[in-house]
Amino acid sequence: MTYRSGTPANVEALDRPDKVAATLVRLRRMVSWHVIAPPLVFFAILLVVGIANPAYLGPFGISIATTSAAPILLVALGQAMVLNTGSIDLSNAAIALFGAIIFALTIPDAGIVAMIAVLIVLTLIGAVNGAILAYTQVPSFALTLGTLGILQTAALVTSGSETIYVSENRDLVTALHTIKVLSVPLTFWIGVFAAIFFWALLRFTIIGQNMTAVGKNESGAILSAVPNKQAKIIAFAISGFASGLAGLAIVAQAGSASASGLGSNLLLPGIAAALVGGTSISGGQANPINVVFGALTVAFVPIAAQALGFGAQAQSLVYGIFIIVIVALTTSRTRGAVIK
Amino acid sequence: MTSVMHEDGPRGAAGMKRNGSASMRRLFAEGAKGPIGLLAALVVLIVVFSFLNPRFASIENLQNVLFQVSVPLILVVGATLVIQMGSIDLSIEGIMGAAGMTWILLSPNTRTMIDLGLWAWLIALVLGMSLGLMTGVIYAKLKVPSFVVSLGTWYVGLGIAILLYGNNSLPSLTSEALARWPTGLTLGLPHAFWLAALVLLFGLLISNYTNLGRGLMAIGNNEPIARMSGMPVNVYKIGAFAIAGLLGGLAGILATMQLGSGSTDIGFGQLFVVIPAAVIGGTALGGGEGGMIRSALGVVLLIILNNGLVLAGVDPDYQSGVFGLILLFAIIAVAWPERGRLKVAK
Repeated sequence: MTYRSGTPANVEALDRPDKVAATLVRLRRMVSWHVIAPPLVFFAILLVVGIANPAYLGPFGISIATTSAAPILLVALGQAMVLNTGSIDLSNAAIALFGAIIFALTIPDAGIVAMIAVLIVLTLIGAVNGAILAYTQVPSFALTLGTLGILQTAALVTSGSETIYVSENRDLVTALHTIKVLSVPLTFWIGVFAAIFFWALLRFTIIGQNMTAVGKNESGAILSAVPNKQAKIIAFAISGFASGLAGLAIVAQAGSASASGLGSNLLLPGIAAALVGGTSISGGQANPINVVFGALTVAFVPIAAQALGFGAQAQSLVYGIFIIVIVALTTSRTRGAVIK
Repeated sequence: MTSVMHEDGPRGAAGMKRNGSASMRRLFAEGAKGPIGLLAALVVLIVVFSFLNPRFASIENLQNVLFQVSVPLILVVGATLVIQMGSIDLSIEGIMGAAGMTWILLSPNTRTMIDLGLWAWLIALVLGMSLGLMTGVIYAKLKVPSFVVSLGTWYVGLGIAILLYGNNSLPSLTSEALARWPTGLTLGLPHAFWLAALVLLFGLLISNYTNLGRGLMAIGNNEPIARMSGMPVNVYKIGAFAIAGLLGGLAGILATMQLGSGSTDIGFGQLFVVIPAAVIGGTALGGGEGGMIRSALGVVLLIILNNGLVLAGVDPDYQSGVFGLILLFAIIAVAWPERGRLKVAK
């Protein structure tokens, strides 16, 4: 096999001028499934919704879809950055919810200062996750399952199991939800800007390249003196930060926060959005801009399910099947690779 | 074990004596890592909690603990098989919901006028097993990571439960005999626990005395070698998930019986008991290690901890936090000696 397909093509490629070969490689990468699938899936689902219920394609529909997509997008962006290093963060939705509660507790007194301080604290929580992972070398999935439990308790205890309403400075937060540009709320725009920023980070900076290298081949990265611990800590810190922004989006939308209220079910949609956005679950592949489409698709799934005549009760079922199908379609398979 | 025998073989009597004590020491060290450490932790917990609240050490509380242990004990048998081969099954809560709801709607209940008797059990168990089978096939054949597939199956199972529940009234068990069965005592122990003990025995037999059980351990240790030695790796993988699904279904039925009514969230929180329990018991998440008895001890430890904390007056809000902390310390303790500059941790 390797004999026949390998030799002639390779020789030819070597003979070609470097530029042409490079362009070809780039072209192949551009049209690769991972890159075009997320927008394709999104437009397919948009088409389904549009045919079944054209009202959803108007300004009103756009505002509904992007509002519900905003927290999913922010959580998914952090998740994509962590998945890119080959780990997973199961605690990010809990960070978002815990964040929403402390936002709601502190914003009435301290306003913008509180927002910044809370975001810093949540980023640090993420960084602690990453540091434990990097220095104790435990599986990230079990580690973050543990921190998920601790954060759930933290959310219950800080809120006293009650709904915290933002009394003072309410307009300061809800403005993020009520101010709309092109009928899309600011919370979603924050997600879009974060996506562009993370994309640039991965493409153009050494820190970003290091993270991708660790995800693609950690042993190789370590042997090439890539600071793998630093890369993991930064990826988890980013996840904490993005989850913090998601918490802010939750408070902006609801004007309140509680341990069981809006945003208490973000974990699975967040992972789904990252995966639908073309992020590889085994690491080394993430495109934050495509995650935007992933989040929109995931937010559209319940709407599409309803438009197609499935009741709201079928939502879990549709979600479950959707995740399996999407990952089965987009996961990369190498012959002989061990899948756990 | 076999390697020890090999070393002993060709040597004289004197050598055997020396080696014998060495292997004894090794055996002890091996044991101390697993069950002995766990048992010590259990004893410490029991002593501490008995001091905090005298009611903890009562017979009624022992029966209560065993009653609570039974559902996670059934689940941990399937979870251990799956974790031993290096995969993970997150779907148990969803499968419990689907099977439990199916069972109660086909048994004497306040909503449907159907009573299929034993067939209700069979249908619910088959549903659980099919969900597990689906997970296994997609994982083994389509090569989708088990983590994602079982996450999907979790929601598929939950979705089935929600659809069955519909908008109608809560289905409650009308048969007194069925509702009382789990709490009924035989030889002083609740029936629910006897059922779980039977499942544990079944799990022990599978994992120690069948090709499947041995094969799963081999896959967890080194999958490429297992494959190259001609093991039907895919069949074993699918088998493990099918058993986990079947036991998930059984746990769902038992939990529904214990509650006395159907609920889509019947399995809520079980994942948080079962996976930490397996890990505390020394079943490494990387696969190839651990055993049924150890996982079972892990479950008992966590349930006693929970029960003791409640009796000691700790707010239930703290439960997931305490479990989370324990999971954290357990995995760090397991992974600590194996750290290395070149180790890949995902």
